Amino acid sequence: MTNDKVSAQNMLHRMIVDFTANELAPIDMKIDQLGDYPEGLFQKVVDNGLLGITLPREYGGAGFDYIAAAQAINAMAFGNASMAVTLEGHFKTISQFLKYGQPELLAKYLPSATKRIFAFSQTESSGGSNPTGISTRAVKQGDDWIITGDKIMITNGGLAQVYCVLAKTEDDQMAVFVVDQDMPGFQFGKREDFIGLRGTPVGEIVMDHIKVPDYHLLGEIGQGHEIGNNAHDDARILMGAVLAGIMKHELKIAVDYSKQRKALDTPLYELQTIQEKIADIAIAKQNTELLYQHGAELKTAGEPYSEIAAMAKSYGSRSAVSAGDKALQVLAGYGYSREYPIEHLIRDARAMEIAEGTVEKMNTEIATKEVAK
Amino acid sequence: MNNEIWVFVQVNGQIIEPTSLQLITKAREIAGERPVVALITETKTMNVETTVKEYGPDKIVTLKDAQFHNASDGEIADALDQVVSDLKPNSLLFPATVLGRSVAPRLQAKLKTGLTADCLDIYFDGDDLVQVKPTYGDDIMCEIICPDVRPQMATIRPNIFKAVKHSTDTEIINYSFAFHPEANIEVLSEIPVINSSANISEAKTVIALGRGANNEKVIEKAEKLAGKLGGMVGVSRPLTDNDEFSHENQIGQSGNTIAPDLLINFGISGAVQYAVGIENAKKVVSINTDAHAPIFGKSDYAFVGDADAFMSALLEQVR
Amino acid sequence: MKIVVCIKQVPNTDTVKIDPKTNNLVRSNVEGIINLFDRNAIEAALQLRQQAGGEVILLSMGPNSYISSLRDGLAMGADSAILLSSRKFGGADTLATAYVLSEAIKKIGNVDLILFGRQSVDADTGQVGPIVAEELQVPQVTFAESIELQDKNQLIGHRLLDNLVQEVKVHLPAVVTVRDEMNQPRYETPLNIQKSFEKEIIIWSENELAVDPAQIGQTGSPTVVKRIYSPEKAGRQTTTLPTDPHAAVTQLLEELNN
Repeated sequence: MTNDKVSAQNMLHRMIVDFTANELAPIDMKIDQLGDYPEGLFQKVVDNGLLGITLPREYGGAGFDYIAAAQAINAMAFGNASMAVTLEGHFKTISQFLKYGQPELLAKYLPSATKRIFAFSQTESSGGSNPTGISTRAVKQGDDWIITGDKIMITNGGLAQVYCVLAKTEDDQMAVFVVDQDMPGFQFGKREDFIGLRGTPVGEIVMDHIKVPDYHLLGEIGQGHEIGNNAHDDARILMGAVLAGIMKHELKIAVDYSKQRKALDTPLYELQTIQEKIADIAIAKQNTELLYQHGAELKTAGEPYSEIAAMAKSYGSRSAVSAGDKALQVLAGYGYSREYPIEHLIRDARAMEIAEGTVEKMNTEIATKEVAK
Repeated sequence: MNNEIWVFVQVNGQIIEPTSLQLITKAREIAGERPVVALITETKTMNVETTVKEYGPDKIVTLKDAQFHNASDGEIADALDQVVSDLKPNSLLFPATVLGRSVAPRLQAKLKTGLTADCLDIYFDGDDLVQVKPTYGDDIMCEIICPDVRPQMATIRPNIFKAVKHSTDTEIINYSFAFHPEANIEVLSEIPVINSSANISEAKTVIALGRGANNEKVIEKAEKLAGKLGGMVGVSRPLTDNDEFSHENQIGQSGNTIAPDLLINFGISGAVQYAVGIENAKKVVSINTDAHAPIFGKSDYAFVGDADAFMSALLEQVR
Repeated sequence: MKIVVCIKQVPNTDTVKIDPKTNNLVRSNVEGIINLFDRNAIEAALQLRQQAGGEVILLSMGPNSYISSLRDGLAMGADSAILLSSRKFGGADTLATAYVLSEAIKKIGNVDLILFGRQSVDADTGQVGPIVAEELQVPQVTFAESIELQDKNQLIGHRLLDNLVQEVKVHLPAVVTVRDEMNQPRYETPLNIQKSFEKEIIIWSENELAVDPAQIGQTGSPTVVKRIYSPEKAGRQTTTLPTDPHAAVTQLLEELNN
């Protein structure tokens, strides 16, 4: 990397650290309690250009690579994981546009990606992220496609204005199309009431015969499955970054408390049982950092990163939940109190054992790849 | 060049800025054989020297002109330059107030000498005035001298030294000079402000209440005490649920970071979230029934006992 | 309007250490950042530019590593930056620093307003602004909490003196030092960070400026640092007050008054 590139990446990191410390961390607990972003907060994210971090300069974005973006998301998650996940959902979707979108589509949509959120939707009520059982249909009508179906549990659903949707064609081929909220036949459904990441909206869209031109197709007919998987991979790197950020937060709370609280006359951090927990959290945090960073590097270098991305999220999510549990134990009664953020960090981390493919699904993927080596 | 130590006496309206008097006492303390001189700029009707004299400078030099009312920094620096260039003191001290820190460097530039800002201490080493000042926060101290040029100039932080009255024969000199108005600046108005900040992060005194002081009686007394001490009432997070308090009153990580001169904690245990908000408080007094409460580790004074009883005693005894 | 904002790069204070052997500040590996108050000055300049048009030029004196804080200022939105860098400028105290800055401002030419942060967070002097004002023979509004442009040539500033608010009208050019109460500095947006690398940072040494060699660097600095040390960090010594509330309050008030 050139010096300028490193400097720019450091500046971005500092900017996110400042923004997070000033705008997000102080209201982290409030966001959890409210179950939403307070009025005006998302607009601040937009106004400060954070939606455009990965968007190429030609579309009005800042054109940072995935390494810088993951680092930024990591820094943000230290203060508030919900907003970091909102950015994750947006960035991974932009990645699919860039990789699979036709020039006409990119020209139409990407210039607005600094102002509005793009989302990627696969899941339907018929079952999980497993795309084979979906019922959303894309029917060719002249030069256009008619999309009909329901998508649920979409990260940023309701907040996002542009959606990539996985659909089946008449000949049962998988394909991804782009729809937006202003199209006739588009409707928002209900918002999920999840126990964690309570700021990040997760919701439903209902598509009733939405007509889109042919260039709204990402990639080719039959490529839907691959694009869906690629979106998962891109999301998982960034979720690894979110999880490492959550663990950094958990570690800080545990360390601060252990330095300040005494058991009789011994500071907690001098007790081996406490040290054990602090070390475990620190190691898990470090490992997750290495995994997500390596994933981002592989992606940026154009090398295969699917397995590492799965590891970052699988290992990271389980570790962050268990690290939260350990931090809670360090704080004992205070840790169990809603006055301290640990309990919500555990709930936040828990989401990522499920979203973008369950831990079990990821581990199957990892094992399959290992066996095939 | 003479060996005198001069102290600039700052006058705000009719009131002498207390730091000036503190500096006269400090100068006398370190002077040895060196005469201490108070330097006053005032309008013709003011007689600041009468008060200044009580603090025992060997000499007072006054510069009188009606235009010192609403004078600009540049005009004051110009007047001072005339007398300082003429009488050539060894050292010249200013209060590190806004005015002192604005006028002194302009004068420094005219005299082409050194100036050390915001000193916490000064002493003589031979003829060198050693100026001790903090740098990088208050973690690192720096000793600065100005070996070859005179006067040696410093601005000194308020309220580090005590002003002590001292009777001596003080010679008063009315120095004649020419007031040169600065053409391109005009002081339009000066409006006094009462130093009661509505923001707890800027309050000089804070009475903080925690879960152990969460009852009507204590809250009412705390408000009274804050009134008496010219301070504000702050709370730890649990009390923000009370109707009378909001996030504005909250101290701690998710609330306000405070830096008062005096903080009195009632019924606060001192959880980390709270402790980070009070790190910059100067004097911390804590009252808690639990002798092992972590707050005591962050306190200068500890009272193990009932918040209400201590508060009542304070209310009685504070004038 | 042509506005010059003088900025200083300071070490990230958390990371400054003293070498126990040499008693010098250990500056290597210490990340340099833009002095906090200088961000308020840049913000004030950007707002004035928005209102009156013109350009915002950043000016700093220091080694080449100071480019990083100038870059920060450019990423906030300043138009260009000048770094005064030369071995000969090294070891300058406030007087010598302000002298070189003043000469650079003269060279820039036709400057309407010179802004400073109220003081630096490291040396904490706040005196470079007034010295520059004196060198340039222009009026100053120090510790300003607000400034308002009256017309092209006049500005009204409010400054908080120790117990009064002073309202001052100055004719431009003038020096203003900015309190952090004046504004909330904007963030460097990701896009502006990238754009900052496309803006020019000009470097001037003594060869580009009409400076008197006797007034620059260590030679031009009357003050000398005699000693640097870490004071013993006095952790809080907790005095336990007597158990009787009245006796406790009596002792407390007595000790607080001393």
